[in-house]
Amino acid sequence: MSNPTEMKFLIVDDFSTMRRIIRGLLKEMGCNNAEEAEDGVVALNMLRQQRFDFVVSDINMPNMNGFELLRAIKADDGLKSLPVLMVTAEARKEDIVMAAQSGASGYIVKPFTKATLEEKVQKIMQKLAATA
Amino acid sequence: MKMDSAQDLLQRDDGSLATAPAPAASQQEIFLQLGAITRLLHDTLQQLGVMPKLQTAAEGLPDARSRLSYIASKTAAAAEKVLNSVDSAKAEHQQISQQTRALAASLTADPVRAVASGAVYNFVADVDRRTAAIDQHLTDIMLAQDFHDLTGQVVAKVVALAGDLEDSLLKLLVQVVPPEQREKVDPAMLHGPVVNPEGRTDVVANQGEVDDLLASLGF
Repeated sequence: MSNPTEMKFLIVDDFSTMRRIIRGLLKEMGCNNAEEAEDGVVALNMLRQQRFDFVVSDINMPNMNGFELLRAIKADDGLKSLPVLMVTAEARKEDIVMAAQSGASGYIVKPFTKATLEEKVQKIMQKLAATA
Repeated sequence: MKMDSAQDLLQRDDGSLATAPAPAASQQEIFLQLGAITRLLHDTLQQLGVMPKLQTAAEGLPDARSRLSYIASKTAAAAEKVLNSVDSAKAEHQQISQQTRALAASLTADPVRAVASGAVYNFVADVDRRTAAIDQHLTDIMLAQDFHDLTGQVVAKVVALAGDLEDSLLKLLVQVVPPEQREKVDPAMLHGPVVNPEGRTDVVANQGEVDDLLASLGF
């Protein structure tokens, strides 16, 4: 599925404000199908119970952080093909490298703009379409 | 316990202490030095009268933490309120935009009418342009609420830091205060009546629970 408007997104962030912002931006991009999770544990449960096409995840979260969630997704045969875009305030290079090495499809540092989110989502989708 | 074992190992049959092995000996020396430094710190703090200041600092930290938490909760509520308003404004705005486009379409559908109502058509086109700009402003307002996430993470870290600091200060206070005043500052000492027993598993809420607990212990 390469059209973002037809995809189902999972937004993972411990701050409800940020989840609402990302959901609002996705809506403006035409993506109306999005659900929210407040940490990695909740997200992983949702991912194992429902079908999602795209994950947008924070890193610094309680219970299970974004890195742990990312590794859990990539270690799960049923989920490993799922694109995961990290949207986080963690701006250290080693975090970005770690995210990439752990299988993240993209990495956005907060604060970010609508254009950045749109660009990254489109880029990831194009890459997926090219490899499909 | 470990110190005793090391001592035993160093003890020769004749009762004298062995000079080797060197690492164990130096470790014991470090422990002795640490003990001496702790005693010196304890005495100095008491002589300087630092204890009351430490106590004031330790007592002030919970207040600082609760004030920071208050800021976090208030900014969260404000951000949510703004996002609710932005959602409502965007929904109403979308309706205006759709109706404006429908009006423009109906005007242009009839060329005669379009010419006759040129001023109205221009106004409608202008409204359409401006609604797009307003929508962009609303998006900017929505994005600006990310301050709650960013500042919230900083506040959470400072609250955690204050908690650690408070813990360290209390431990230091326990070391410094005279034994008869220790229970005033030692969090591990008896705490008296439980103010909020709800949701706690480490306290009992009533005498019935006390009796049950004693009964389970065979009393």
